[in-house]
Amino acid sequence: MDRGQNHIHGQSAANLCYQFGSDNPLLGMGIQQPFVPFTSPFGASSSTNIPHMDWNPATMLDNLTFIEDKIRQVKDVIRTMVDNGGQLPCRQGDLTQQQQVVNADLTCLIVQLISTAGSLLPSLKNSSFLSHPPAGHMDTVNHVGSSSSFIPNVTTISEENKEDMCSPEDYEELFKGFTDGAMEGGIEIDNVFVEEQDAKDGDEGGDASMDGENLPPGSYELLQLEKDEILAPHTHFCSICGKGFKRDANLRMHMRGHGDEYKSPAALAKPPRDASAEHELVKRYSCPFVGCKRNKLHKNFQPLKTILCVKNHYKRSHCEKSYTCSRCHTKKFSVMADLKTHEKHCGRDKWLCSCGTSFSRKDKLFAHVALFQGHTPALPADEPKNSSDQISRVGSHQEPAKFPSSMSSSFMWGTSSSDDRGLDIKGLAGCSEDILSTGNFGSFNFSFGPADGFTGEPSGSTFSVLPPEHFQSAQKKGKN
Amino acid sequence: MSREGQKLDYAAAGGNGAGGVGIGVLSLDLLGQVLDRLREPRDRKACRLVSRAFERAEATHRRALRVLRREPLPRLLRAFPSLERLDLSACASLDDASLSAAIAAAGAGGLAGLRRVCLARASGVGWRGLEALVAACPRLEAVDLSHCVGAGDREVAALAAAAGLRELRLDKCLAVTDMGLAKVVVGCPRLEKLSVKWCREISDIGIDLLAKKCPELRSLNISYLKVGNGSLRSISTLEKLEELAMVGCSCIDDEGLELLSKGTDSLQSVDVSRCDHVTYQGLASLIDGRKFLQKLHAADCLHEIGQRFVSKLATLKETLTALKLDGLEVSDSLLQAIGEGCNKLVEIGLSKCSGVTDEGISSLVARCSDLRTIDLTCCNLITNNALDSIADNCKMLECLRLESCSLINEKGLERIANCCPNLKEIDLTDCGVNDAALQHLAKCSELRTLKLGLCSSISDKGIAFISSNCGNLVELDLYRCNSITDDGLAALVNGCKKIKLLNLCYCNKITDSGLGHLGSLEELTNLELRCLVRITGIGISSIATGCKSLIELDLKRCYSVDDAGLGALARNAFNLRQLTISYCQVTGLGLCHLLSSLRCLQDIKMVHLSWVSIEGFEIALRAACGRLKKLKMLNGLKTVLSPELLQMLHACGCRIRWVDKPLVYKDC
Repeated sequence: MDRGQNHIHGQSAANLCYQFGSDNPLLGMGIQQPFVPFTSPFGASSSTNIPHMDWNPATMLDNLTFIEDKIRQVKDVIRTMVDNGGQLPCRQGDLTQQQQVVNADLTCLIVQLISTAGSLLPSLKNSSFLSHPPAGHMDTVNHVGSSSSFIPNVTTISEENKEDMCSPEDYEELFKGFTDGAMEGGIEIDNVFVEEQDAKDGDEGGDASMDGENLPPGSYELLQLEKDEILAPHTHFCSICGKGFKRDANLRMHMRGHGDEYKSPAALAKPPRDASAEHELVKRYSCPFVGCKRNKLHKNFQPLKTILCVKNHYKRSHCEKSYTCSRCHTKKFSVMADLKTHEKHCGRDKWLCSCGTSFSRKDKLFAHVALFQGHTPALPADEPKNSSDQISRVGSHQEPAKFPSSMSSSFMWGTSSSDDRGLDIKGLAGCSEDILSTGNFGSFNFSFGPADGFTGEPSGSTFSVLPPEHFQSAQKKGKN
Repeated sequence: MSREGQKLDYAAAGGNGAGGVGIGVLSLDLLGQVLDRLREPRDRKACRLVSRAFERAEATHRRALRVLRREPLPRLLRAFPSLERLDLSACASLDDASLSAAIAAAGAGGLAGLRRVCLARASGVGWRGLEALVAACPRLEAVDLSHCVGAGDREVAALAAAAGLRELRLDKCLAVTDMGLAKVVVGCPRLEKLSVKWCREISDIGIDLLAKKCPELRSLNISYLKVGNGSLRSISTLEKLEELAMVGCSCIDDEGLELLSKGTDSLQSVDVSRCDHVTYQGLASLIDGRKFLQKLHAADCLHEIGQRFVSKLATLKETLTALKLDGLEVSDSLLQAIGEGCNKLVEIGLSKCSGVTDEGISSLVARCSDLRTIDLTCCNLITNNALDSIADNCKMLECLRLESCSLINEKGLERIANCCPNLKEIDLTDCGVNDAALQHLAKCSELRTLKLGLCSSISDKGIAFISSNCGNLVELDLYRCNSITDDGLAALVNGCKKIKLLNLCYCNKITDSGLGHLGSLEELTNLELRCLVRITGIGISSIATGCKSLIELDLKRCYSVDDAGLGALARNAFNLRQLTISYCQVTGLGLCHLLSSLRCLQDIKMVHLSWVSIEGFEIALRAACGRLKKLKMLNGLKTVLSPELLQMLHACGCRIRWVDKPLVYKDC
């Protein structure tokens, strides 16, 4: 992903906001205001300026005003959030709903901010801008851009494109992606995710230490993207219609629709890497979340390798896990791909540990058992078969034997299912003890039953007729 | 009864008769000490029966108990509160219910001291019984569950609750998987000895966990498992491992042995017999890493041996005591190299090795004067010269196996008998030796095992020689020695009263009167009388009444044995556990009587009982249903016997082998 090709401009975001805002009549301010800068600065521009970025002070000025406007709006929204938070402490449902709306609004505004700010950028290669701004300040974007001539053309946006751009799915994704970032931006949140991140870091492809890479500080260029950039759904935007894309290849395909000049092999080819880029330092990335190990301020800082790593890391470690598995309804993920991977295997975990954790593969279970003291594999279909079998065999002897056995089995089920996916080892140890003790209890009582029945039995040498439950179990075995 | 037993018996009886003076005045502790010195269980029983003082002493003092029937089990467990070892392997019709009941009857703390329990072949015992047992015995250290073919993960998981377990045998518990093994290794971290032979479901993953969780492991048997080299990598991390058996692990190859060679020097014994993919290269690298190997068994796996192996073997000069190279093509030079390299050898196995010659043997034994066991089975090139050199060099010889070495004769054996006074076991099956050879062998008064199968020239005279001096003889194999008559048996029982195993198959001159002599062998446990066409119920009854210890009896093709014989067995042979009555002339009535009376009978082969009706089989089997573990019957019966019966048998842990053989009467 090359930041230099982010032809972001206010157009797309404004459009987005328009649609979005109309869906949310609760917050009015997001609705009308975008139209003001929308028509005045952009309408005057011509499409001829698009390919090159001549320095146009008028446009620049307009853009800057627009940004100022937006910033004011952002402030307003945040203020309302703060106010709402103070007013409605009791009604949780309303609060969250409102927060969501506010978040959505914020998202809109910030996207607009970013894209407009992006259009102010002086050159295609704007990586230097990324490395400078201090964390958490949107305003810095303003100072960076000095020249830009991306003049969006409102008229080129077709109805179809609009539809495309703001399809419900996109919305959802955008919404989800932005929720947490916006929340963090707006409200002070404790570093709830910090503990988790170290464990998760291993998953990321860009983990420098995992790859054996050990670049000394200073030997690489360190970039830090802001959370909003990280969470932006699209990174490539059409300079004509403003439609956003995740990949630049898709953008090039899209551009073909804008005229024959984009159909030439040269235009369709992958842009060659800059010769100068090879002489540049290797790029590494820092996570904007202060306190994170991947943040440059951390004393054991480990940089992330690619922007994709940054994205995945940020979502996994510092965002809410908003994707819930539709099968088990327990596992949550913040990265869609993780959910997809999980759903492939969900429900097929047949290797169970005594702590309640289940695994899709036997060797994984055994590695888990080897790691934790006291954990043992749980035998599959242990409990239910247990109880029925025991009852059918013992049942004829006497009643009391029946009770504890069924008790123990139900109890075991209860403990194992109530276990919260088995992350707490202490709790688990207790749980396994429970299983053990109830099991013993059951068997102890059970042993009394036959004691009475057998001491009085004559010899067993006569033609003894087996009780019917023996037949049952025999049949069961036969079936197997 | 032994002499010391008799004396005590007399004292006890006299003491009680004289009104409390005598043995009764001694303290229980002293009496316990006395009982400890009695070796024969029979003597102890006599003491117990004749004196209350001894009975009390034994009750508090007894440590080991072997129970043969389930009915007295609760009473016995109550009677002996300080038991440490309990053997239930031969306990007929033991199942979960009876085991739990007995444990409950023993009461809390009744089994608190129990350390070792043997449940081998107790196929009726499942996880419930084991759970109850483990719960009642907090100090349990060793459990033998081998050959409980139905035992699976649940049973093993029940054992895992015994946290102090040190020894566990799971041989042929066919349903045990990695999960069960994992249960055990997590539950019993102090495991020192483990055998999972024939547990085919166990894989590398399970073995890996074992190696991680049980660092105290000293002995491990993974024979016939489908595990690969990965397991050996895990096993090599076990720092205290001394013994490793991996017979028939065909997925293991030289690479695995290379991995195994990395580790501590604790390993003393390795068995790679029948590992098809192991070559001398792998063994050489193993020896290279494990410098203190004492035993190396590589039977039936090597096809050739290279110089590298021989030179590595020489580095074990000081330690190696046992070497088995069965089935290998050897040369004189190799045997010489072994003899020169490993002077400390105590045992060498060259069974079925081709190319073993007199010269090879003499160069082997020339430097190995400590050899006690020499296995030359099927080395059919060797002659008396080899025996001469063995006799000259190996004065300590205890065991010599010469099966199918048909070139040897009485002259070679004379040297052996003269020079090796410690000889305890000699196998001369199919060697064609004669009475003269036995005359020489009779000098070996320590002889315990004598195998003379297929030596048809042996006559009563030879038996008389043996009987005259070998009073300690325990096992005698006279398979197809068909010159032997009743007189020979009379001579035998005259001198060899301690015989426990006797094979008289196809000695078809033997009649009822011969069996009458055998009746005086009180200690006889295994008797094979296959195809003795002249014996009848009369002979059987004299055996049944005389041989009280009889456990296994083979009467296949004894065409004249009828219901009377079975009736005698039913009335007298209470300890009989295995019986073969195929082709006997018995009827349904006799079979019913037999099966309903013999409460220890667990294994019966009854093929071609032409006079037994289907109803006869049905009723007889129903009578013995809970006790039978193994059955062999004609395939035709499978469909005509009632399915309930078959299910019942199955449910009680009985395995039925259906055979399809034509009815052929052979007169041997």
